[in-house]
Parts: sequence; C-alpha cells; structure tokens
Amino acid sequence: MSPTSSRSPAPTTGSGDLMIEARGVEKWYPNGFHALRGCDLTVQRGEVVVIMGPSGSGKSTFIRTFNALEDFQKGSITVDGIALTNDLRQIDAIRREVGMVFQQFNLFPHLTVLDNLCLAPVLVRKRPKAEVKEQAMALLRRVGIAEQASKFPGQLSGGQQQRVAIARALCMEPRILLFDEPTSALDPEMVREVLDVMLSLAAEHITMVVVTHEVKFARQVASRVVLMAEGEVVEVADPETFFTNPSQERSRRFLDQIL
Amino acid sequence: MDTLLRRLRHELFASKVDGLITLVLLGLIGAGGAGFLRWALGQAQWAVVRANSTLFALGRYPIEQQWRLWLLTALLAVATGITWGMLRSHPRPDRVGVLWPRNDRIAAVLLALLALGLPLALGLSGAVQLRWWGITALLLLWRWLAGRFGPGLPPLLKRLLPLGLPLLYLLGMVLIHGGLGLSPVSSSEWGGLMLTLLEASFAILLCFPLGVLLALGRRSELPLLRWGSVLYIEFIRGAPLITLLFLGQNMLGFLLPGGMAPERVWRAAWVLTLFAAAYLAEAVRSGLAAVPRGQLEAARSLGMSLPQAFASVVLPQALRVALPSMVGQFISLLQDTTLLSLIGLMELLGTARTVMANPAFLGRNAEVYFTLAVLFWCCCAALGLGSRALERRLDPAALARSG
Ligand SMILES: Nc1ncnc2c1ncn2[C@@H]1O[C@H](COP(=O)(O)OP(=O)(O)O)[C@@H](O)[C@H]1O
Ligand SMILES: [Mg+2]
Repeated sequence: MSPTSSRSPAPTTGSGDLMIEARGVEKWYPNGFHALRGCDLTVQRGEVVVIMGPSGSGKSTFIRTFNALEDFQKGSITVDGIALTNDLRQIDAIRREVGMVFQQFNLFPHLTVLDNLCLAPVLVRKRPKAEVKEQAMALLRRVGIAEQASKFPGQLSGGQQQRVAIARALCMEPRILLFDEPTSALDPEMVREVLDVMLSLAAEHITMVVVTHEVKFARQVASRVVLMAEGEVVEVADPETFFTNPSQERSRRFLDQIL
Repeated sequence: MDTLLRRLRHELFASKVDGLITLVLLGLIGAGGAGFLRWALGQAQWAVVRANSTLFALGRYPIEQQWRLWLLTALLAVATGITWGMLRSHPRPDRVGVLWPRNDRIAAVLLALLALGLPLALGLSGAVQLRWWGITALLLLWRWLAGRFGPGLPPLLKRLLPLGLPLLYLLGMVLIHGGLGLSPVSSSEWGGLMLTLLEASFAILLCFPLGVLLALGRRSELPLLRWGSVLYIEFIRGAPLITLLFLGQNMLGFLLPGGMAPERVWRAAWVLTLFAAAYLAEAVRSGLAAVPRGQLEAARSLGMSLPQAFASVVLPQALRVALPSMVGQFISLLQDTTLLSLIGLMELLGTARTVMANPAFLGRNAEVYFTLAVLFWCCCAALGLGSRALERRLDPAALARSG
C-alpha cells in the first residue's frame, strides 16, 4: 500500500482516469457569504485525497459540490466525465455514481439496517430485491455487523452506525466515495473501527475524497493531502511533504495547531 | 388487595392537606354522581331515545333498504376487527406467550358486554338485538383471526391490506347510495349517526392527501406553488367553518360548470374536506420540520429522485411525528360535523333537533343531548385508541423491543 503521489494536481489528460476535476469553483451562500473562492482539485481513479483545514474553511461545502448537494456560481466541475450543470438528469446520474458518508451518519431511522442498504439500489437502480439483499448482507459482513442486520439504527453504537452508512454507500456500487469527517461525531474508542473499514477500502483502490482530521490515516493512505483555508485550496502535496515540510506558511500554522 | 389499599392510602392521604383535598373531591364526585344517577335512573324518560333509535342511527333511510346498511355495518365490523388485530396483537406471537396486551383484552371484553347490554337497555326488538350480537361476534372473531394469523402473512399482502379501507369506503358508498343494481336512495333521506360518520370519514380520507400536498407545496421551491399553498392555508384558517359551509352551499354552484354542483350532502362534505386539509397541512408541516435535513441529503446522495426521497424517507418519518396532532384534527373534524345541522342537514344534531321539536317528546332535551354526547364520545375514543395503537406500531424502538 505505497501511495503513488504527485506533488501538484495532475494535468487534464482526458485519459478517462480523471474522476473529479474542479476548476475555479466559487460559491456564495444565499446570505451572500463567499464560501469557496476559486478552488481547483483533480482526483485520479484509485486515488485517496484527504482534505484538511480549520473548521469553517469550506471543506464540507467543497466536497458537497461534487455530488451537487451544494450548487456553485462560477467555475466548472466534471465528475467521471459528466459536467455538473443544472440539468437534473445529469445530477441524478452523478449521484448514483458518487457515494457519500456524513459526519452525522444520516441513517434512515425508520428502516432496519438491511433496509437502509437495500432501499436505494432497489428504488434507483431497479435491481431485484433478493439479489440486493444478498449483496447487502455480504457488505454488512465485510464491515463486521452482519448480526445487526434486522436491528434499527437507533439500537447501534455510533461506530456501528457509521459502518452501516459506509456499507449503504457501497451498496450502490459507486465509482467515487466522499467522506465528510466520518469520525468526528464518534467517541474516541469507536474511531478505530471506522478507520479500519476505510483503510480496507483504500487498499482496494476505491477512489475516495476524505475530509478528516485523522493525521495517521492521512499519512497511511493518502495519495495527496489538500489544505483548505478561508474558502481556498492553499496547498496540495503528498502526505510526507505535507506533514514534514509544507511549502505554505498557512499549512505550517495549521499543522502547529493539530500536531 | 392489601398492597392496593396501601398504595391508595399512600397516594391519596399522604399528608393532612392531601387527605382533606381527597375528601372534598370525593364528596363533590359523590354528590355529582348521585345527582346524575338520580336523574338518569329516576327523572329521565329514555323513551325518547328508545322510540327514535332508528332515526338517530339512520335518519329517514327507507326501511325496506335497511338491509344494505346492516351489510355495511357487518363489513365495517370485519374491517375494524382486522385492523384491531393487526395493530394490537404481538407482531411475533411465536416469540412471546401473550398474544394481546392486557388492556386490549379488557377492551375486547368491555365491547362484548356493551354489545350485550346496550340493545337490551334500549329495548330493541329481538331480531335487531340478535343482529347486533352477531356483528359484535364478527368483529371479535376477525380481531382474533387477524391477531393470530396476521403476523404470518406474506409482507406484500400485509402492505396491500390498508388499501382495503378505501375500497370498502367505495363499496359502502354504493350500498348507501344505490347503483350497480341497487335501487338509489336519495341523499336527502340520509341522516343520523350514519350521515355524521359518512361526512366525517369522507373528509378524513380526502383531507389527508390534500393536506400532505399542501404541506409539501408550502415547502416547495417553486414560488407560485409555495405562495398558493400559504395563501390557501391562511385563508381557510382565518375563516370560521360555519361561514365556509354557508359559502359552500351558495358558491359551489357558481364555481363549478353547470350540472356539476354536487348535492347538498356532498357540497358540505367537500367544504369539510377543504377546511380540514388546511389544518392537516399545518400538522404535517410540523412533522416535516422535525425530520433533519441530513435525511433528505442522504437519500439524494444515494441517487433517489426528490419524489422517491420524500415517499420513502422523509414522509414516513414526518407523518409518524405528525400522527398525534393529525388525529387531533380528525377528532375535531368529527365534532365539527354538528355544524352541518345549521345548514339543514339531518346528521346527529339535526336529527336530534327534529326529535326535540316533536310535541310528543317536549322537554326531553337533556336525554337527547346526553345520548348525543355519549355517541360522539365513543367515536372520538375509538379514533384516539386507534391512533395510539398505530403510533406504537410505527415506532421503530417499540417494534425493535418486541421483535
Ligand atoms: N447554509 C449556509 N449559509 C451560509 N453560510 C454557510 C452555510 N453553510 C456553511 N456556511 C459557512 O460557510 C463556511 C464554510 O462552511 P463548511 O464548508 O461547513 O466548513 P468546514 O466543513 O470546513 O468546517 C463557514 O464559515 C460556514 O459558516
Ligand atoms: Mg464540515
């Protein structure tokens, strides 16, 4: 598991290996707040890109533009070859291919764990229920909670819920997985079990964009680390360089705070 | 028995002041109860209720067609029994020794006693009495069958079962109204409890989808839809129902193209529906507000369309939250049907007024109003009990405990 790292964002090659390409993305919230100020990012197939940065720097806003949970006013975003426009059919097509794991899990509390996994594949992909169930059980086994399949989310611990949420995203067989601080709402003793699942995904070269403060995780699997501050992408570097010898003063200050 | 006495003493006579309050209240209750009993058993002349029981039940529905209503009542008893059994029995009878919660068995026994005693007390004829007993037996039988075998039914069938209720409603309309080979009975001959329940159930069934649509419209991102919904809801909630009822009687004729204006009974039912929908929309709105934003985002990020996300994720949660206040709306809707007497419909209160206007029953107002109050109380209690059972059945935590 030696991450191949490139110091700067790879140039657009059009080879089809470019999973996400964001160019000069600017976003204003309806209240006029300028949350993204010209953000660039490219993610290659199989890469794990970790986004770090102080709270309020726009990390969530940025990755939520990748599956159109947030809109943006300037710039362009292409996901797996499809340009994000206001065309609703395009947006639905992209969301099918991009899974997301939230800080607050956002499991569906009125459905059992198994139904949480099966709902979207049956509804959206129109796959036969029996087949989806089998796959869902396999995924639950993989994240280590197959015995809880018929329980409701409210009966599980935070770590278990987040693992269900990851399995739910995987059940749609996405080409990209987005994580927005997946361990920040967890009690410390549960962080490990979630990170372990994410490590195993990285080992399978699933394309991931992960917002997190887990330095160890970033060092272990990140292809590149991105630092955001005040709505801008300040630095993109391979983890070794980023954590030991960052090129930007802003990165150094951030690392001083968290290390 | 001993512990019961000790508990009573502990709760009612914990201190001197408590004991005093208890004694005073007991005295008041005793005096009030004694006064009521003296009236109910001594002074009151229940002949007015006995003689008009059919009128109170059905209005002036033709006697030779009443078998249709008996049939409908029997069907309703079956539906009630099935609903009761499905909602209240244990979802996994194989896992737990008890099929029914205790208060449920008590309710069933009470119902049986009531069905046994009430026709006797009213002095109904033997044949009618037998029918009531049969109908009650039918209800309890289906309650037991549904409770015993319902949980084992295939899930698809269980999911489809609630669709039987609207179908039953349509069938009931045919039975009451005529058609499909049955001779028609004009709506001017409908009355009494039947008309009350007909109007209320029509409005309850239809205001539900309307209210949900209005609540969704109020949250819509399309300005026209949003403002339309807000305007409608605020207009309706700002006007007293009685003015809307009069307005409906006079205006629906103008609003709808010639010949389309429904009969008085239906005009009133539509006004009730449109009225209740505005209030229901507010109940649903509070339910929607209780569902965290993240739920919709999670559904959308899985590729669900907006309608799919609402139908499978947001609405089921919102409606469960809104259920108690929705049932509150249904209960006040049922009581609001009494206003229909003011626009000349012969529902319960209208029937009661004609009975009291009859010189033969002069001065018997108290008996009549008391009967009305008891009838309404029974209907509302049934609604309330049903809603609580549904709430429990829809609560994942409770389901999980029992599953
Ligand atoms: N709906 C919103 N309306 C206005 N401002 C918002 C909204 N959501 C987030 N913001 C602001 O945008 C900035 C970036 O937020 P966010 O992307 O959540 O930061 P991060 O995830 O890096 O902590 C913050 O200053 C936040 O206050
Ligand atoms: Mg965030």
